[in-house]
Amino acid sequence: MFGLIGHSTSFDAARRKAMELGFDHIADGDLDVWCSAPPQLVEHVEISSPTGTTIKGAYIDSCFVPEMLSRFKTARRKVLNAMELAQKKGINITALGGFTSIIFENFNLLQHQTVRSTTLEWQRFTTGNTHTAWVICRQVENNAPTLGIDLKTAKVAVVGATGDIGSAVCRWLSARTGVGELLLVARQQQPLLDLQAQIGGGRILTLDEALPEADVVVWVASMPRTLEIDQASLRKPCLMIDGGYPKNLDTKVAGGGIHVLKGGIVEFCKDIGWTMMQIAEMEKPQRQMFACFAEAMLLEFERCHTNFSWGRNNITLEKMDFIGAASVRHGFSTLNLNPSAQAAAA
Amino acid sequence: MTTLNAPEAAVVEGLDALPDFTTEAYKDAYSRINAIVIEGEQEAHDNYISLGSLIPDQKDELAKLARMEMKHMKGFTSCGRNLGVEADMVFAKKFFEPLHGNFQAALKEGKVVTCLLIQALLIEAFAISAYHIYIPVADPFARKITEGVVKDEYTHLNYGQEWLKANFEASKDELFEANKANLPLIRSMLEEVASDAAVLHMEKEDLIEDFLIAYQEALGEIGFTSRDIARMAAAALAV
Ligand SMILES: NC(=O)C1=CN([C@@H]2O[C@H](COP(=O)(O)OP(=O)(O)OC[C@H]3O[C@@H](n4cnc5c(N)ncnc54)[C@H](OP(=O)(O)O)[C@@H]3O)[C@@H](O)[C@H]2O)C=CC1
Ligand SMILES: [Fe+2]
Ligand SMILES: [Fe+2]
Repeated sequence: MFGLIGHSTSFDAARRKAMELGFDHIADGDLDVWCSAPPQLVEHVEISSPTGTTIKGAYIDSCFVPEMLSRFKTARRKVLNAMELAQKKGINITALGGFTSIIFENFNLLQHQTVRSTTLEWQRFTTGNTHTAWVICRQVENNAPTLGIDLKTAKVAVVGATGDIGSAVCRWLSARTGVGELLLVARQQQPLLDLQAQIGGGRILTLDEALPEADVVVWVASMPRTLEIDQASLRKPCLMIDGGYPKNLDTKVAGGGIHVLKGGIVEFCKDIGWTMMQIAEMEKPQRQMFACFAEAMLLEFERCHTNFSWGRNNITLEKMDFIGAASVRHGFSTLNLNPSAQAAAA
Repeated sequence: MTTLNAPEAAVVEGLDALPDFTTEAYKDAYSRINAIVIEGEQEAHDNYISLGSLIPDQKDELAKLARMEMKHMKGFTSCGRNLGVEADMVFAKKFFEPLHGNFQAALKEGKVVTCLLIQALLIEAFAISAYHIYIPVADPFARKITEGVVKDEYTHLNYGQEWLKANFEASKDELFEANKANLPLIRSMLEEVASDAAVLHMEKEDLIEDFLIAYQEALGEIGFTSRDIARMAAAALAV
């Protein structure tokens, strides 16, 4: 069995969903009530791959909402309790979705392996970042040509280049895709220099310097809410892959030759009978999902029960090859620009 | 792109710090918390003995559980003594009064399901969550004792769980009923200890969530669907 640990995109959305599920008392509660609400296994699903393999899975809502990010202990407890529930339910491989993996890493939850009487078995969990990185790379490769951008000569900015996903994207784009030039953006210099040395290239720039030069921008950083983008200074056409979470880049820039694509999203080849992807605000919630979730499914399809994506900067090209091949084999495709964007570019 | 700043790791230090066990404020709060725990163990002892009269064929087993509770009570009494704190037993008796009353009423009517829900599910889940949260912030002496106790409480919770599971269909309606009548009491008890618990570095939010996790898990084992469980638990969340 595979598992997905998810959460609503906002407190309001969480309340609406709770109401829909008939949990009225909780839905009416204020944020304090939600802070004390235990994780819930809300849904079981069964999925068949085109290969004929069928797997079972479960969706666990951690009852975390982004409004709790500033409450360190609450956020930590939500993630650990959801992981404990997944393990107690006997789930082999569970993806840490949304903010879950970020909280896990940034709050150093590796130190909290014991949750009450349960010792968490790390091999049962994956961040899903390998698949996310692979999907984002494929999205660059598939959609740049659609807009008439030739990747061989294009400048590709990676915002969050030194992150777990960002560094994997940089390695892949320089080794496999062969882009004109990589523009590396992050705040701390030393990791940028290390990355530059590792991939043997790329130019280190600030965000403001990189944006006007970039034909493609891959966003894989947690950016401040206040970020503003000067649309007039951008190149046209420009492909922007919104790999962050939640995905709202299109509210900051759009149109006039700027094409925003939701990054790290895959679509399954047929409908999945679940309701929980609605809370992730997918356009086609029956088929679309975060690539990190799909990674747990792929590992279950492949009977690869291990913490495939774990820690930081451990994503290799070989691992991306493995998960990418599994993704294609089991009927997943990456989200692409819609046809109207292509027509506009033509 | 995220609209919120990424959580920063820097703030982590110091959050799990131990309280100062020697202050007057600590001892004052401890006099009530310690009393509640001692009284709770005493109640548990008496309740298991009483349950033995309702389930005669399990009398010996229940007497065994009762003896464990007695041992817990003595252990926690020594924790107070160790800190030089006198437990406020008058406060604790009043604290347990409503729940005690409900148990006694059910006992009189021979309602074994209600009695089990109150003692073996609610009180045990309450104890398990409180002890788990107490352990990391306890003084070294109390920590050792509490670690031993919490293992036993799982055995007790499991006892109630197994009995109710074996008699699920026949118990279901009474369980709904008993949950409705008694879960709000647990909630108010949690509210009542919250400020003293906070002095011991135990947070209300944690207590409620951990209690619900233990309680919901037991309800699930017994045979309730997750929807039933969420409905039943809602009574504890709503204030
Ligand atoms: N399927 C999906 O859609 C998924 C999306 N994600 C999202 O992807 C993003 C990256 O995840 P992950 O790689 O795990 O995170 P990491 O924490 O590993 O990396 C974050 C990167 O962003 C950089 N960064 C952070 N803040 C800024 C800033 N203000 N300006 C410039 N650079 C910045 C960091 O470097 P520095 O600190 O030096 O600036 C680092 O390079 C997250 O937003 C996450 O929510 C994650 C998983 C799945
Ligand atoms: Fe006990
Ligand atoms: Fe007990």
